[in-house]
Amino acid sequence: MTFLELLRKGPFYLDGGFGTLLQRKGLKPGEAPESWNLTHPEEVAAIHRAYYEAGSHMVATNTFGVHPQRYSLPDCEKMIRAAAACAEKARREADAGQEKFIALDVGPCGKLLKPLGPLDFEEAVRGFAEVVRIGTACGVDCIFLETMNDGAETRAALLAAKENCNLPVLVSNAYGADGKLMTGGTPSSVAAMLEGLGADAVGVNCSLGPDALAPIVEQYLEAASVPVLMKPNAGLPRDRDGKTVYDIGPEEFSRQIARLVPKGLRIMGGCCGTTPDYIRALKAATAGMKPPAIKPKDRTVVASRGRTVELGKDPVIIGERINPTGKKRLRKALEEGDMAYILNEAIAQEERGAEVLDVNVGTPGVDEAALLAQAVQELQAVTDLPLQLDTADPAAMEKALRVYNGKAMINSVNGKREVMDALFPLVRKYGGVAVALTLDENGIPATAEGRLAIAERILAEAEKYGIRRKDILFDPLTMTVSTDGLAAKVTLDALRLIREKTGCGTVLGVSNVSFGLPEREVLGSAFLTMALHSGLSAAIMNPLSDRMLGAMISYRTLTGRDDNCGAYIGFASSLPALQAVAAGPAEGVRAAAAETEEKGLRRAVAKGLCREAAKLARAALEGGQDGMDLVQREIIPALDEVGQGFESKRIFLPQLMMSAEAAEAAFREIKEKTGGQAEGREGGTPVVLATVKGDIHDIGKNIVRLLLENYGFAVTDLGKDVPPDKVLEAVERLRAPVCGLSALMTTTVPAMAETVALLHERAPWCRVMVGGAVLTEEYARQIGADGYGRDAMAAVRVAERFVQENAEKGNT
Amino acid sequence: MKEGLRLEELGEIPFDRKEILRYAMLPSFAEMPEELPLEECLKAAEGAAKCRAVWCRYPLSREGKSLNLGFARTESRDLRKHLEGCGELLLFACTAGAETDRRIARAGLLSPAKGLLMHAIGAQQVEGGCDRLCARLAERFPDRRLTDRYSPGYGDLPLSLQRDVAEALDLGRTLGITLTDSLLMTPSKSVTAIIGLGDRETGGREE
Repeated sequence: MTFLELLRKGPFYLDGGFGTLLQRKGLKPGEAPESWNLTHPEEVAAIHRAYYEAGSHMVATNTFGVHPQRYSLPDCEKMIRAAAACAEKARREADAGQEKFIALDVGPCGKLLKPLGPLDFEEAVRGFAEVVRIGTACGVDCIFLETMNDGAETRAALLAAKENCNLPVLVSNAYGADGKLMTGGTPSSVAAMLEGLGADAVGVNCSLGPDALAPIVEQYLEAASVPVLMKPNAGLPRDRDGKTVYDIGPEEFSRQIARLVPKGLRIMGGCCGTTPDYIRALKAATAGMKPPAIKPKDRTVVASRGRTVELGKDPVIIGERINPTGKKRLRKALEEGDMAYILNEAIAQEERGAEVLDVNVGTPGVDEAALLAQAVQELQAVTDLPLQLDTADPAAMEKALRVYNGKAMINSVNGKREVMDALFPLVRKYGGVAVALTLDENGIPATAEGRLAIAERILAEAEKYGIRRKDILFDPLTMTVSTDGLAAKVTLDALRLIREKTGCGTVLGVSNVSFGLPEREVLGSAFLTMALHSGLSAAIMNPLSDRMLGAMISYRTLTGRDDNCGAYIGFASSLPALQAVAAGPAEGVRAAAAETEEKGLRRAVAKGLCREAAKLARAALEGGQDGMDLVQREIIPALDEVGQGFESKRIFLPQLMMSAEAAEAAFREIKEKTGGQAEGREGGTPVVLATVKGDIHDIGKNIVRLLLENYGFAVTDLGKDVPPDKVLEAVERLRAPVCGLSALMTTTVPAMAETVALLHERAPWCRVMVGGAVLTEEYARQIGADGYGRDAMAAVRVAERFVQENAEKGNT
Repeated sequence: MKEGLRLEELGEIPFDRKEILRYAMLPSFAEMPEELPLEECLKAAEGAAKCRAVWCRYPLSREGKSLNLGFARTESRDLRKHLEGCGELLLFACTAGAETDRRIARAGLLSPAKGLLMHAIGAQQVEGGCDRLCARLAERFPDRRLTDRYSPGYGDLPLSLQRDVAEALDLGRTLGITLTDSLLMTPSKSVTAIIGLGDRETGGREE
């Protein structure tokens, strides 16, 4: 039987703990276990051999800690070669009749990936790729990725394995006691992602004993269509006379694991605290057991880092707002690389109940591939909603699919040969659920039958790539009724027909139906209801629209999906009509307040009252006041008052920030009123802000940004961990006369000095101010900075001084 | 797991509004801004932090100018002073976890004030975790005198000791804490520290 056949048959026995056994043989605390491959190869081989002789089908090389993040490449190569030789020797010499395999063991690389950590995804992939290439050259039989507690890192390692060898890959993650990965992954989200990427077996190891891991294994069995593995610890570590001992012995350990075999567990071994005795006992306890056959799971599932969404059961809302078509503000944000705007759109949609977010950043003048990948990573840092990657550019799609942490929706393929040839290989390689449009080289068929025929052709083509039916959703295409009175009817007929004949789920972008007509949401929401009633699986729609969201929620309520109408009541009470009634008397007060609103606005900003500041600014503008005037007479004096209070330590940071936010709220009103040509703040002096390379603190920098914006500067915020050349690039592009750099740690001040030097050399017009916890005036001077901001207010003063000095210089 | 390491699940740490405002740099005598979104942030932070810790006990000895910490050596005079009279030490790390960082990032996008408060909440949570751990350690060593905690980067104790700490406590594996090249910990709401173990009776000096 081949290795994979044996895995699928089960029970298949892995090895047990390694570190503890090395310690017993004399490995000292602080000594790297992998170094023993070179210094004590006999001892390492003896442990492998003991496992083979206890019944293990597969042992994993002693290479857990070998990774280019820790060792030089030549050292990695030496240790892996020696490790493989130890395992080979054990296999040769072991007195054991079962088939025996050697896995290249790959552990975590020791650094956390972006966005929570510093390591770039592709850099992680490159590191794992080296390990895999070396190991494969040594003749191992498979790759064993283990003990990873971050989904993104697991993804990087699996991708590296798939791209650099043809060997089977087993993937085992380490879960916490809360049943999640350290970075939030759940068994179902992790299994969906790993299977999509082509893992040959998935499962869990380390952290806990078999009983505690059992619920996690059961979730894997529920979700996975590939064999599931388990390698638990020997219970929990306890302290006995200063020694670490584990609290479950071989028999109990084996009994607990054996209980899972009838549920489908077929690959098993041990982790910390287990020894060959445990494997021997495990084999005895499960001998003759036959795990039930693996059933392919026919559910259509998309996943993010830690959440799965199933399509085809309850209708799903896909938020459509991150798409620049017809959205001027978003287009501008994309051109400027303003990620905060996009992230806010995401959060707003999530709060309104979106379950998947469409992400389209295609607009002229941007590098779509780079921008889409960046947007995906930044979105995944703040929202756990699965994403629908929406681009017509296969290169952009691939780049985004690589970094997407989960199993994405892929929007879209269609019946055109060229498109299928470009996209199906990507779906095959990275996993995902493809949205397929029912159009081809001849355009969009006018009939439902025509669209079904294309759907069937697409399915046949997908099958050639081994893409399963459940991973395809069809979009029968919403056409506008204003140009064709039967358009909506044909779409709905096609939807029903495709659903019945192919069994696949369906998606529609519903908004298009009302294009060119007044009060579009009236028509759009009616169409949504009809589509849902025809069996639509997911609607790409605007969840911020009360009418559209109302139609979706009402549909759920009317089809028995809303217990006690709770969701409907919650939604209804949020509607503005009802809120206005509730807030009725307060509106009356507004007129009375009008007279005092000037003083009121100044006071509201000074006191940090955001809602009141916005309301008063609005009322003043409606009363005919000039926006610019309000800024000069009310808002700026209030900010100055607060700023001085802060400088003289009468006002403190949270108070200062609330005032800044209240000012921001008033500015927004003024901006809206003046149609974006706000109060002379647009076209303010450009300032580039960044937290320097190596530093991931950004709270201080964000406060500086807010205050600078208050004072009329046009801030471009490059974020944190920004390399010097990127700062230079922005300063040159904007010809910014001021740049602010932040560093919190002594260890990142050198990066700050480097950035200052680069700016002075290449952008001599730019003056650099620095700030951050470890800096002092003196230190700032030492590293060549032109100014030092002790706090956020001081930074504003320094920037103002720079601008003024520049102007004076210009005048002389 | 490495010999001698002990894991502690510290559970959820109750929010302490006073402490949180202190971490947000609002002194207790100052007026709390009326619209400061503290309650909203507490709600957003709910359930994010489940503090976990790992610790290990080491012998401590003095060799000339240097201090042998059992897992590393240092010439820090401030730590030497801090550990006066102690023959052993406890090294620990505690983290509020990755989800805390994610929620901070998210809040910071919505508004800098919320970002500030979420940072403060995270700090209070991990410090509260350290307090809980220290209370457990004090119970575990009832006959000993435990010093306050002392972290790499305090006084003249170099931050570079973090590498040795991470190695000794196997932080990647035990708590999922990793170090950046500039020695920052991820997740960011994490603490490492040393506690001296001295004799309760004498409290005297060994030097």
